Amino acid sequence: NDIETRTIKFPSASNKGHPQVVGVEKFAELVAQKTGGKITVKPFPGGTLGPDLQTVSAMQGGTVEMTVMNASLLAGNVKEMAVFDFPFLFNNTREADAVADGPVGRKLLDKLQERGLVGLAYWDLGFRQVHTAKKPIAKADDFQGLKMRVIPTPLYVDFMKSLGASPVPMPFTETYTALEQGAIDGMTNPLLNILDGKYNEVSRHLTITNHMYTPQAVIVSKKFWDKLGPVEQKILRDAAQETAVFQRKVARDEAARELADIRKKGMTVHELPPEEIAKLRERSKPVAEKYTKELGPIVGEMMAAVEKARAAK
Amino acid sequence: MTRWLDGWCRLLERLMVAMLAAMVLLVAANVLMRYAFNSGITVSEELARWLFVWLTFLGAAVAVHRQAHLGTDMLTSRLGPGGRRVCRVVGQLLMLWATVLLLRGAWQQAVINLDVAAPVTGLPVAVFYAAGVVFAATTGVMLAHDLWRTLSGRLGDDALAMVQESEDLAQIHELQLDRSQTFKPHG
Amino acid sequence: MTVIVFLGSLLAVMALGVPIAYALLLSGVALMAQLDMTDAQILAQNVINGADSFPLLAIPFFMLAGEIMNVGGLSRRIVHLALTLVGHVRGGLGFVAIVAACLLAALSGSAVADTAALAALLLPMMKRAGHDPAKSAGLIASAGIIAPVIPPSIGFVIFGVAANLSISKLFLAGIVPGLLMGVSIAIAWWWVAKREAITPPPKASLAERLRALREAGWALVLPVIVIVGLKMGVFTPTEAAVVAAVYALLVSTLVYRELGWHQLHEVFLSAARTTAVIMFLVAAAMVSAWLITVADIPGQMIALLEPFMGNQTLLLIAIMLLVMAVGTAMDMTPTILIMTPVLMPVVKAAGIDPIYFGVLFIINNAIGLITPPVGTVLNVVAGVGKMKMDQVTRGVLPFMTAQFIVMFLMVIFPQIVTVPAQWFATR
Ligand code: NA
Ligand code: NA
Repeated sequence: NDIETRTIKFPSASNKGHPQVVGVEKFAELVAQKTGGKITVKPFPGGTLGPDLQTVSAMQGGTVEMTVMNASLLAGNVKEMAVFDFPFLFNNTREADAVADGPVGRKLLDKLQERGLVGLAYWDLGFRQVHTAKKPIAKADDFQGLKMRVIPTPLYVDFMKSLGASPVPMPFTETYTALEQGAIDGMTNPLLNILDGKYNEVSRHLTITNHMYTPQAVIVSKKFWDKLGPVEQKILRDAAQETAVFQRKVARDEAARELADIRKKGMTVHELPPEEIAKLRERSKPVAEKYTKELGPIVGEMMAAVEKARAAK
Repeated sequence: MTRWLDGWCRLLERLMVAMLAAMVLLVAANVLMRYAFNSGITVSEELARWLFVWLTFLGAAVAVHRQAHLGTDMLTSRLGPGGRRVCRVVGQLLMLWATVLLLRGAWQQAVINLDVAAPVTGLPVAVFYAAGVVFAATTGVMLAHDLWRTLSGRLGDDALAMVQESEDLAQIHELQLDRSQTFKPHG
Repeated sequence: MTVIVFLGSLLAVMALGVPIAYALLLSGVALMAQLDMTDAQILAQNVINGADSFPLLAIPFFMLAGEIMNVGGLSRRIVHLALTLVGHVRGGLGFVAIVAACLLAALSGSAVADTAALAALLLPMMKRAGHDPAKSAGLIASAGIIAPVIPPSIGFVIFGVAANLSISKLFLAGIVPGLLMGVSIAIAWWWVAKREAITPPPKASLAERLRALREAGWALVLPVIVIVGLKMGVFTPTEAAVVAAVYALLVSTLVYRELGWHQLHEVFLSAARTTAVIMFLVAAAMVSAWLITVADIPGQMIALLEPFMGNQTLLLIAIMLLVMAVGTAMDMTPTILIMTPVLMPVVKAAGIDPIYFGVLFIINNAIGLITPPVGTVLNVVAGVGKMKMDQVTRGVLPFMTAQFIVMFLMVIFPQIVTVPAQWFATR
């Protein structure tokens, strides 16, 4: 028989109702459909099975089967994944999708194989924006001297420094209280995470910067993958890609709705004029240069792919 | 063997004190930097967490040796010496089994993470999982040694408890009642 | 079925006299076998990652602060201040114990260091003045358990991490309920002291009071730093803990000059040892918590408690009775660790405010420290006061009852907890 009875534990960090989890649920539905209910996908939202990096390690050991997470978080395993964190890499989601679904995105996923992981597809979490507790960011210079929480990675620290902000490395779980209490002035988040994390309660201002895109890598434990037959593998691959199409739409519609909601809940939204964005882009150039050396040829390939997508219109 | 283990535990305790001091410095310096210089030490949080993990597992191994882990002897204290000895042997075998499993699992995870880089420091994540390997290896030797002493009858009937009732009681022993200013008699 | 496997294996192994942490690991192994997913890595992964938490770093720091305060003379000065303030009223020494306990509670995170200091300083005085030793010991035990309710609190830190809640909010929500626990035993003591009719110590002069205040002032700055720091926005709980430790260190070495190099090493070692024991337990509990989630035991619990789900008060009373029963036999940390992953989903499903529940849960666990047969704080008082356990147990009864009454009042009138929590939450 081509399909065996199996259960897939599919944890993820976001809470139920978040587009990330909607994706997991859709994937579960598709897999059930395609396997006649033989393969069960069990979602564990809300990080109940542990934080992302612990889950990755568990998958490499074969005790958890699947997850979905920020692709750049996998940089500890495959350093080239950090290329997704390059500031202002993509101008819009069309470019991001074209590159992620194209050969460069595939190449990055395939690199995960040597680390005991199989990459299936990229889902969406949108662009990162900046929200601040009290001081608004209405122009590029407003970053000067602000205490900005950074994702604790070297690239992100350098990026915030390049904008003139003071980077404060801090675990994600502490950020709500830190904003509430003024330990930090602001942080960055995709729109989808702002209401989910109740950040509207502790930040008065939101600034649309689109400074980073956050593709979500859907990955499988290779130990589990190698136990599957070719038919089963194809079903999972197809289901993940089919979900990507659906999930991206859900996530982007939701992000638009979210922005309206954020306004309704009293946060002031600042749209930076193009010349201010251009300033930010200019100031962060040295960061890209520095990490181009570190990450090697993948950066060139990425830039070429972005150019191609941009030209394709 | 007992002397050798005692020495090893004293060494581990020196390390624990150094680690706790380093954790205080790292976190305190980070707070100070934020308010005095409007910046932070990037590696502070990650390093402090890893030291914490090592402190926990080194200390847990020492506590196995000193039988300082929390538990209850509500049932075993009501048994005769024979029953107590049987409980102790079964208990130690179970603990040894869990320790061997831990050793194997921690080893597997350490190997998997040999060249996975930590997000901030870039240190191999294997260093993190190695805390479990060192704990399980140390504890395994201690438990095997204890088991042999119980089985060979080298352990007196009065020394058969494996646990203490409460962390708080441990703390009382730790409070150095004799040295503390609070506990000195004041007219 | 999975619930039975989990609890059955846990209790069976504990009964053999195996440490609770190991019993949790072994019940994890039993759950893995039952779920047909046995893999040593699940054990190792969850244990090691279980200790990897920045919020939990507050534990060694608060532990350190508490020990430095006792050894460095801060606690003694606080008790002295309380003595000059309320010592002269009828039954004064008892009220001194309560006031000092509330002040110390704002300085330290665990019941034990506080109770030990109170018992060492006040129990001999109370006995000498002619108070009934059993009642005096009982009062001090029940005053000591205010420590984990008024912030800082190691119990709130562990619960906050296990339940994924804001530790700052829990801290601030604990202040008023902690003070109410003090009020409840003050009323009970007033009733006891009225019948004892013992001459209190003479009233302190204003000069004496001012001198005591100046001496203790250095110590009293600490709770102000911690509470204002948390509320007004200066640091996170972990940072507050490190600030407390460094501050206590500075005061006891530079101002009081009562802490030498050798003692410093001892204090660090003892904080490190206690931390390791607590944290290994926390880490081991993560294994069974992970498997409890995978096996969906909370879902089974919700189904089991279905008849109560419609009535929050009834559900809470049922949960509180359960926690009381567990608390008679188990210490605070393991109770929090074992019960939180099972109870929290039920509490959330019933729509109960998790912060409010957290306060009730920690109060219940704190009172568990003075309920027989296993009442750690009773042991501490008996140990320090060189008294028999059953004597202390008898003496604590009126005060324990008063505290349970306050707890159930909070169950029936949630506003007692939620309204003040709201004051602190809004700036
Ligand atoms: Na306290
Ligand atoms: Na008890």
